Amino acid sequence: MIESIYSKNFRAWKVALAACLLWPAYLFAQDEKPIAPVGKTYAITNATIVQGPGRKIEKGTVVMKDGLITAVGAGVAVPAEAIVIKGDSLFVYPGFIDGLSHTGIAKPKEERDTRERLKDPGNPTNERAGITPQNDVRTIINPAEKSVEELRNLGFTVSQVVPYGNLLPGQAAVVLLGGKSADDMVLVNNSALYSELTGAQNAYPNTIMAVMAKWRELYKNASLQKNYQALYASNRNGVGRPVTDRVYEAFYPVIDQRMPVVFKSERVMETQRVFTLKNDLNFKLTIGDVKEGWPILNKIKSSGASVFLSLDLPDEIKKEEKKADKKDAKKDSVKTEAPKKEKPKTAFDLEREALEKRKKESIALYTSQPAEFSKAGVTFGFSALSVKTKDIPANLRRMIAAGLPEDEALKALTISPAKLLGLEDRLGSIDNGKIANLVVTNKPYFNEKAKVRYVFVEGNVYKQEVAEVKKADAKVSYKGTWSYTSETPQGTATGKIVLKEEKGNYSGTISSNMMDKPADLKDISVDKETISFTFPFDAGGETLTIEVTITVDGDTFDGTITAGPNGSFPVKGTKDPKF
Amino acid sequence: MKNFQLVAGFFTALFCAVVFHLEAQNAKGKYGTFALTNATIETITNGTVSNGTVLISNGKILAVGANIAIPQGAEVIDCKGLTVYPGMIDSGTNLGLSEIGSDPRTQDFNEVGDLVPQMKALTAVNPNAVAIPVTRISGITTALSSPRGDMFPGTAALINLHGYTPEQMFAGFEGVVLNFPNTGRRGFFDRRTDEELKKATETALKKLNEVWERAVQYHKVDSATQGKNAGYYPEMQALLPVVRGQRALLVEVNTSKDILAALKWIKEKKIAKPVLTGVAEGWRVADQIAKSKIPVIAGSVLEIPTRDYDRYDQAYANPGLLKKAGIKVAIRSEETNNQNFRNLPYHAGFAVAYGMDRREALRAITIVPAEIFGVADKLGSIEVGKSATLFVCDGDPFETKTQIKQVFIDGWQIPMSSRQTQLYDEFLKRDPGVSKK
Amino acid sequence: MKKIFSIGLALLLVNWCLGQDKGNLLIKNGTVLTVTKGTLTETDVLVKDGKIAQIGKNIAAPQGVRVIDATGLFVMPGIIDAHSHIAIDGINEATSPVTAEVFEGDVVNPLQIGIYHALGGGVTAVHAMHGSANAIGGQCETLKLRYGTFDGDAMKMEGAPRTIKFALGENPTRVHGGGSGIVPRTRMGVEFVIRQSFSNAKKYMEDWDAYNKNKLVKGFRGAPPAYNLRLETLAEILKGNIIIHCHSYRADEIFMLLNVCKDFGIKRVVFQHVNEGFKVAPELAAYGAMASVFSDWWAYKFEVYYSTAYNAAILTRNGVVTSINSDDAEMMRHLYHEAGKTQKYGNLSDDEALALITINPAKQLGIDARTGSLEAGKDADIAIFKNHPLSIYGVPQFTVVDGIVRFDRAADPADMRLMVDPKQNLDDVTFHDKNVDHCMEGTEFLFSDLFQADKK
Repeated sequence: MIESIYSKNFRAWKVALAACLLWPAYLFAQDEKPIAPVGKTYAITNATIVQGPGRKIEKGTVVMKDGLITAVGAGVAVPAEAIVIKGDSLFVYPGFIDGLSHTGIAKPKEERDTRERLKDPGNPTNERAGITPQNDVRTIINPAEKSVEELRNLGFTVSQVVPYGNLLPGQAAVVLLGGKSADDMVLVNNSALYSELTGAQNAYPNTIMAVMAKWRELYKNASLQKNYQALYASNRNGVGRPVTDRVYEAFYPVIDQRMPVVFKSERVMETQRVFTLKNDLNFKLTIGDVKEGWPILNKIKSSGASVFLSLDLPDEIKKEEKKADKKDAKKDSVKTEAPKKEKPKTAFDLEREALEKRKKESIALYTSQPAEFSKAGVTFGFSALSVKTKDIPANLRRMIAAGLPEDEALKALTISPAKLLGLEDRLGSIDNGKIANLVVTNKPYFNEKAKVRYVFVEGNVYKQEVAEVKKADAKVSYKGTWSYTSETPQGTATGKIVLKEEKGNYSGTISSNMMDKPADLKDISVDKETISFTFPFDAGGETLTIEVTITVDGDTFDGTITAGPNGSFPVKGTKDPKF
Repeated sequence: MKNFQLVAGFFTALFCAVVFHLEAQNAKGKYGTFALTNATIETITNGTVSNGTVLISNGKILAVGANIAIPQGAEVIDCKGLTVYPGMIDSGTNLGLSEIGSDPRTQDFNEVGDLVPQMKALTAVNPNAVAIPVTRISGITTALSSPRGDMFPGTAALINLHGYTPEQMFAGFEGVVLNFPNTGRRGFFDRRTDEELKKATETALKKLNEVWERAVQYHKVDSATQGKNAGYYPEMQALLPVVRGQRALLVEVNTSKDILAALKWIKEKKIAKPVLTGVAEGWRVADQIAKSKIPVIAGSVLEIPTRDYDRYDQAYANPGLLKKAGIKVAIRSEETNNQNFRNLPYHAGFAVAYGMDRREALRAITIVPAEIFGVADKLGSIEVGKSATLFVCDGDPFETKTQIKQVFIDGWQIPMSSRQTQLYDEFLKRDPGVSKK
Repeated sequence: MKKIFSIGLALLLVNWCLGQDKGNLLIKNGTVLTVTKGTLTETDVLVKDGKIAQIGKNIAAPQGVRVIDATGLFVMPGIIDAHSHIAIDGINEATSPVTAEVFEGDVVNPLQIGIYHALGGGVTAVHAMHGSANAIGGQCETLKLRYGTFDGDAMKMEGAPRTIKFALGENPTRVHGGGSGIVPRTRMGVEFVIRQSFSNAKKYMEDWDAYNKNKLVKGFRGAPPAYNLRLETLAEILKGNIIIHCHSYRADEIFMLLNVCKDFGIKRVVFQHVNEGFKVAPELAAYGAMASVFSDWWAYKFEVYYSTAYNAAILTRNGVVTSINSDDAEMMRHLYHEAGKTQKYGNLSDDEALALITINPAKQLGIDARTGSLEAGKDADIAIFKNHPLSIYGVPQFTVVDGIVRFDRAADPADMRLMVDPKQNLDDVTFHDKNVDHCMEGTEFLFSDLFQADKK
C-alpha cells in the first residue's frame, strides 16, 4: 500500500527533477524504489509571485524549507542547499483550498436501493438511519485515492473532506492533498460536523421533514445529556450514572460552539431549511457547495454562516445543440416545402426561442453567483463536492467572464477559505512562516492556456508536465490581419485587427460591427506570445477604454477583452491568409 | 402481504357480489309513448324550438315541433320552463368495466399483453355497474367504454346507459384502441431518464410498425384465400377491419411531438378511419391536425398544463383552440378512476369559459361524437326518426346548478335515482338521530 | 421544551416583518359577495396595508393606489383549500404509523408552479398537509399563496394555529399492516395505535412536569427524562394547542375517532374527505367536529364506494361546519365550481355554497378571524371573477393576497416559473396523475409491486 503511494509520488518527483536536469542518471537508475529527496529546501527564482490577491512580485523568489515558506521577495538570497527551480516566465500562487468535498474517500458502492426492506422501517439502527456523527473521516481517507491527485493537479493543496452518507455521516477534517497516510495529511482533525438534509432509504427518517425533526431531537437530547453528565461529574454520589452515547457526544463541541456544522446546501430550499435548523438550535454554521444562493443572498449574508460556493456549473447551451434543436423544431412543424431563406417563424419556433432564452438566463444566474456574492461583500470560498474535477478551470473562467474579478476568484481559492476554516495563520497566501503550499503555472492561472507546472504541498513538489518543447523557429509573428469574434452581453462582436511592426514598434487598428469606424490601437505591449493593447470605444457618448490581451499560437489567438466595469469576455481570432 | 391481498380481495369480492345483487334493483325504466310538451327544444342540428313538443314512441322520436298532435294514450310530460337536449355522449369512459378504482378485481379494462385488440369491451361491460345510473341521471345517456393498457389494449364499444345485456346497451360503434408510442412522462412517479424515455418510444414505434406490417400481410393472405387459409390469428383478425378501412382506429396520443408522429404514421399506413383521442397538446400543432382532417376526441379538459411553462389555463383552452383551427372536436371527461363521467358537461363548460363557442361545445358532446362514431343517424340530435335518447333539464346543461328532470334512452324513461340519490334520501334527516329514542 | 417552537415562531414573525409585502388597492364597483354579510351590488372594496379598510359605495381612491375596475365583475373572499399538498417537498413520512414530530412547515417550497396555478383558480390560502400513510401523520402548515417569494417562511400564514394530520382506514392499514406487517392492519389496530400514542404522551407530559417541578427544589440532582419530539407534539394535541385534521372515509371510523377524542378531552377535530360523514352527521354536529369533503369524488377505492355527492349538503343541513377541498393540484383550481355542485346535489343557497370554500375552511383552520369573508379589518385576500363564481362560466380575473395582486389574467405572461432548471429538457412533458389519491405520495417504496400494477 505504502509502496504504491510512494511510487506515485515518486513518479511526480522523477519528472520534476528531470525537467530541472538534476541528477538524471541517478534517478533513472533506480526506477522502483522510493528515494528520499535530497533535503527539503526549494527556491523558485525569477518568477511572477502572486502572494495573494493584488500582491504581485515581478521576478521574485520564494524559498521553502521543511514544509514552510521561509522567504519571499524580489531580492531574496537563495540558500546554498536549495533545489532551484528557474521560474522565468512562471507564475506562483498560494495553493488553492477546497472547502468541502469527498476528496480522498472511496465512493461507497450503490447499495442503498438494493438493501433489504426492514421489518420495522420506523425503528432502524443508527447506521441505517444515517446517524453516525461520531465517525472520524480519518479512518477512511486514502492518500492514493485518485481524487487527491486529480484535484491537486489543478493547484488545490488543501480540502475539507467529509464522509459519504446522509443526515449525519461523520466528522470533517481539513487535509493536505499529499502525504503518505491519512494522519500525515490531516491539518485539522474534527474540523466540523458534517450533515446533509437527505433521508434514509426506506427507513426513518426518510423525508426531509423527518430528517429535520430527528436533527432537533438529537440535538436536544445531546444538550440534556451533556448537562446531566456535567452534573454527575460534579458529584457522582447518589446520582444515577449517565449512559454514554457516542452519537450525543459528537454534538458536544457543536453545542459549545467550538465546532461548526457543515451542511451540503446545494439548492435554494435546502439552504433555507438549514437556516431553519440553525435558528432553532443556534449552532455555528457552514453551508457548503451552494449552487442556488443568489435568490437569498441577503439572507445568507445576514445569517453569519461560512459560505462555500459550488465549483459546479450547469453546462452551457452548446452551439451544435442549438442547431440540432432548430432542426428538430423544423421537423416538428412538418414544413415539407424546400427551406426558404426568409421563412416566417412559427408559433412553435417563437416558443422555443423564448424557452431557450429563459434557460440561458437561468444558466447565467448560476454562473454569475460568485460575482454577485463578491459584489455583496460576502466572504466565500469554493467547494468541489459535486463538480467534475476536470471542469474546474473552465468553470472558474466562466465565473470570471460573468463578472467575478480575477482577484476575487483568487481570494475565494486561497485566503478566504483559509479564514473561513480558521487557518489564515498557516494557509492562503505566500508569506513567511506559512505552510509551503504553492501552485506554479506557465501563464496567469485564469488564462485558458495556463498549465500547472508544479504543485507544492507542505514543501513537497508534485509536478504536472514538462514544458512543451518549443519549435526552433517558434518566433511568434503578430504581423498581419486577424479576424476575431467575441461573445459580449451586447451580442457577438466581430471584426478585424490589423497589426504592423516596424523595428520592434507595433501599431495597428481594430474594426468592429459595434463601431462606426476602425479605431487605432494604443498602449501596445508584447511579451513573448502575448500581446496587449487598448482602444477607445464610443459607448453612447461616453468613451470607454477597452483592454485586450491575446495570446498567439501560430495562426490563431485566444484572449480576453475587458470593457471596464462591464466585465471581461473571451475573444478568439484567426489570421487571414496572405494573398 | 400476499396473504393480506388475498384476504382483502376475498372479502372485497364477497362484499361486492352481495352488494351488487342488492343494489342493482333500481326502479324499472318505462317504455311507451311520451309527449314532452311546452318545452324549449335544443335540436342541435335544426336550431331551437320554443314552446314545442317532442313525441316519443317505439323508442324513436316521432315528431318534433311547435304544433304537434298528441296521440291518444300518450303520457304527457309538461316541460314548461324546461329544455330538451339530445343525450350527452361521453367519449372517454370505462363504464361497466370498472367498479372500484384501486381494486384490480373489479377492473376489466386492462388485459395482459400489448397486442390484444381482440379484447372486446362489450363482452365485459357490467350492465348493473353502480356508476351507470349515477351517470345517466345527469343526462349522459351514451358512453364509449374503452379498454386501457399497453399498445393495442382492445376494442372499445359505444353503449347506451340502459339495458340488461350488453346487446341491449350496444349503441352501434366499435373501434380499435391504439396507445401511440408516448414520449411524455406518465406522472410524478415516472423518473425515467431522457435516454430511457427516447429508447422506450423508439422500441414501441418499431414494434407498432412490425405489428402493422403483419396486419397488412394478414389482410393480403385473407383476401387472397377468401378468408379460408389465413389461419387463426385473433389479434390480426381484430385489426383486419381497421386495415380494410371498415373500423375506426382510436389513436390515444397527447404530446405535440407524438401527435405529429401519429399523423405521419396514419398517413403512411393509410389508415382510413383514424380518430385522435386525448390530444392534450393538440393546441401546439393544431394547424397540422386540421390539415390532416382527422377528427379529435379531446380531454380530459380539467387538467393542469402538461409543461410547467405553459399558460395556466392551456388545458381548459385546448378544445376551443382546436375548434378554431378547423378541427372536428368532441369532448370527453375521461374521469375513469373515480367514475365521475357525470362531469362531462362541466368539461365542456370549462372549454366554453376559456374560449370555446358554446354551441360548438354542446355539439362536441352530442352530434360530433355521434358523427365520429358513425351513429349520427340515431344519436346526437333531436330529429324525427332518431333514437329517443335525450334529457330534460331546467336550464343550461353546462351550468353547475342545473337539474336534470327527465332522461330517455332508446325511448325508455329512466328512473331518476341512483345509489347516490338513495343515500341522500335516507340520510338527509337520519332516523334515529343522535339518540335512539 | 417549548423553546424550540417558540424560538421558531418568533423567528417566523421576524421574517414576516422583514420580508412581507402588503398592498394597497381599490376595487371599484363590483358585485361584492361578502359571504357572511350578504351580497352588495355596485360596491367598492378599499385595501390598506394588506387589510380590508372599508367596503362601501363611492369610495374615493387614495392617491397613488391602484384601482381595479370591477364593473360587471364579482368580488369574493379568496378561496381557502383546507386539504392540499402543494408548495411542500415531501408528503408522507411513511416509515412509521406515528410521525407526529415531522412538520410540513419545515419543507415549504414556494417555487412550485402549482402555487400560481392555484392563484389562477382564485385560491389565496391552502392547508399544506402531510399525507395519509400513518394513523398519526405529520404536522401541517397553513400557507398564503404569496407566489413570487423564494422564502418558504414568507409563505406561512403567520399566527395560524398548529394542525396535524391523522388518517384512518385503508391507507394506514395498507401501508403498515399490509406493507410492513406491523400494527395497524385493521381499523381496530388504528384505534389502538392512536389511543396508545395519546396514553404515552400523557405519561411523557407527567414525567416532564414532575422533573420540571423537582428541578425547582434546591439541590435536586435527578436525570431528565429523554426528550421525544413525537410525544412532545402529541402532548400539545392533548393540551388543545393543535387541531386534528383526520383523513377518514367510513362512518364507523369517524365515530371511533370522536370517541377517542372524547376520552382524551380533545375538542378540536376536523374530518377530512369523510365520504361517509353524512351517515354520522348528527354525531359530528353534536360533538362540534367539522368536515372537509370532496364535492363528488367516489369509487376510486373501496371505502369510498358508498359515497354520495350529496354529502356536503347533508352535513350542512345537519349543522356541521363543512368545507369542500381539493387534495389535488388540478381540482384546487376550480373549487368554486366544486362548491357549485352542492347546488345541483342538495340545493344549497349561494351563500351556503360559497361558505364551503371560504369562511368554513377558515374556521376549520382556525383563521376565520383573519380570512374567509369580505369584512373590514380582515386580510385583503380576494378573488375577482368574471361571471358568478358558482357559474360554470365563472373565470377568475384577479387574485389578491394581502392586498397584492398575485394573479392578473389579462396581464400575466404564459411562463410564470420563478426558477428555470438550467438543465431543462425542452421536450419533456409530464402528465398529471388524474384522480389519484395524492395522500399516498411517498409510500411507493412499500408497494413496489402493488404500485406498478396500479399505475397501469
